[in-house]
Amino acid sequence: MQFKSSKREQSFWAFVFLIVPMLLLSIFIFFPIVFAFIVSFFDWNLLLPDKPFVGLSNYVEVLKDPVFKKAVKNTIVYTIGVVPTQTLLSLFLAFMMNQKFKGRTFFRVAFYLPAITSSVVTSIIFVWIYSKPGLLNYLLSRLGLTSDIDWLTNPHTVLVSIMMLNIWTTSGYFMISFLAGLQSIPASLYEAAEIDGASTWTQFWKITFPMVRPVTYFVVVMSLIGCFQVFDQVFVMSSGGPDNASTTMSYYAYKNSFKYFRFGFGAASAIVLAIIIFGTTWLQKRYFPSEV
Amino acid sequence: MKFFCASLLTFLLCACGKPQDYTRFASWQSSPTEEKLMRNLLVSFEKQQPSVPYKYEPIPGNYSEKIQLMLGTHQPPDLFWIKDYSSPAFLRFDALAPLDDYLQKDSAFTVNDFFPLFRDAYKYKGKYYGFAKDFNVYVLFYNQEMFAKAGIAAPPTNWQELEAVAKKLTKDTNNDGKIDQYGLVIEPVIEMLIPFVHQNGGELQAANGDPKVTEPAFVEALDFYHGLYKNKMATIPTDVGAGWNGDAFGRKNAAMVISGGWLIPYLKEGYPAIKYSVAPLPQGKVKSTMAFSTAYVIPKEAKYPDNAWKMLSYFVGKEGMTQWTKTGLAFPTRKSVAEANGFYTHPVYKTFMESVPFARPLFVNYSERWYDESNAALQSVFYGGTSPAQAMQDLAPKLKKLKLKD
Repeated sequence: MQFKSSKREQSFWAFVFLIVPMLLLSIFIFFPIVFAFIVSFFDWNLLLPDKPFVGLSNYVEVLKDPVFKKAVKNTIVYTIGVVPTQTLLSLFLAFMMNQKFKGRTFFRVAFYLPAITSSVVTSIIFVWIYSKPGLLNYLLSRLGLTSDIDWLTNPHTVLVSIMMLNIWTTSGYFMISFLAGLQSIPASLYEAAEIDGASTWTQFWKITFPMVRPVTYFVVVMSLIGCFQVFDQVFVMSSGGPDNASTTMSYYAYKNSFKYFRFGFGAASAIVLAIIIFGTTWLQKRYFPSEV
Repeated sequence: MKFFCASLLTFLLCACGKPQDYTRFASWQSSPTEEKLMRNLLVSFEKQQPSVPYKYEPIPGNYSEKIQLMLGTHQPPDLFWIKDYSSPAFLRFDALAPLDDYLQKDSAFTVNDFFPLFRDAYKYKGKYYGFAKDFNVYVLFYNQEMFAKAGIAAPPTNWQELEAVAKKLTKDTNNDGKIDQYGLVIEPVIEMLIPFVHQNGGELQAANGDPKVTEPAFVEALDFYHGLYKNKMATIPTDVGAGWNGDAFGRKNAAMVISGGWLIPYLKEGYPAIKYSVAPLPQGKVKSTMAFSTAYVIPKEAKYPDNAWKMLSYFVGKEGMTQWTKTGLAFPTRKSVAEANGFYTHPVYKTFMESVPFARPLFVNYSERWYDESNAALQSVFYGGTSPAQAMQDLAPKLKKLKLKD
């Protein structure tokens, strides 16, 4: 067989193959992004025919809104709480699951299951677990701690509760990423280290940890973005309450757009969220690159 | 490839461009019972008016969001339901069609048969935009067994009695040191607080639209309402692991509950053993309760408004309303229907009917966000320990910003 097509012909066929996905991406991703950006400069109410241009006033109002400030604070607390815990936990789990022991497959499946379960289903189950007569309070009372907290309606515990749920569901998912990373580390490195007399702990820090760095980078970026966008658990479990103690930025954007009829305002808050995510990822890339 | 794309495109265009030749009717569905009722009503309508082709499009969830999107994309159903408290927003957004012309042509549709309260709930600048199919009001449900055990003969009729009775009914029935029966179950939601405010002579909003939540009459009512909970005479559903206050009442966590008629079928299905009775809400300085109603409306951009009116006129007409309300899911907004069907003599229903003269709907001229802001303020009182006066001080400026322009 011979490949003798001209460059022009090649690029023609490349476009032919690309056109369908490009079209779909444009319609469902690129266009909405640009459109949301445009909408954020208008007072855009679906039901009103005139949609006046208001310049930056949506942004000014968003940044002045105390509920938005609370949402930003909640989102940052949430991210700071979840990302490191989740990353370390999934690395630890992957390290464990990479050892040879009986029933390894069972545990791998067990840890991964929450990740493929619908988040609405897990959220509803956790609503019961966190309720006042629920499982968590029962277990605490068994440990001798009498807890009389309704975890999801207490402003001090609601965010932590949702954080714990999210760590539980996504650790298994990132464990798989780490596991793949661990398995690509050549065994010869460990052998050499062993000959040099390195302990398991030293091996972990000096070989495993640096070798999975690209995976760590991936995991941290993905979970950062995931945390900044947390929505479904909040929507199902607490509706942002009580007293906005669990309102996150994406929930705030949703509520303003779809509940309060204010698409321009909601879009502006979503753009602010996008800028924050973009900035954080950029900072991370700048100061913690994937390769040393 | 080109041919394929072209044919796909034409197909898509054709599929979208197919003209709609039937009247579209949309509603939410709060329960299977309600759905069955609606379908039966549609069957009766079809028998009476076989010449009106229609399509029923129930919306199972996120109703107001979906209706809003349909209106915004110029594809609204020709006929749909709205709740009374969302009517000010719909009316100000100019999304609905006035119905006065139809009223003049349709002489059988007697407007003045409706209770004025529900008739005027959908009136804006002198024109009618919708007609209520049914209503509900808050009343006090109480558990007869618990009352008998505590030796209380009659339900409370005012705030002092409510407090005394609730105190008497709050007890630790199995002596484990924890209260397991409360006098009352309430919810930290604004619509349940407002009747107490009205009873105390307070208002949420002044005539000029400014919030009146910081005035003594309002704060006093909140103090009383929250005091029931703070002093452990009342509980809230989440404290006892119940889904909502009716659920807590069904599980015997509380002897009294403030609820509407929707609790009746709920108890019948879920907790048939509960023996309960209903009484009007205990009164403060004056009598007052909250009224809820749902109306049929026709959007401005309806494709078949004439047929939509035919449906509306049947559904909220005497015949349709009689059929709709006969199961007791909700109560008739037409006086003649209520009288003809024994609503005033029924032992339970009559309490609801008798509450109509002093009932008030939840109408405010704030954009939708007022509801979440107000509930967040109540949550800060109930869950966060903020004092009622402080919470209302914080709430007032927020509400002021949400004032709707006429």
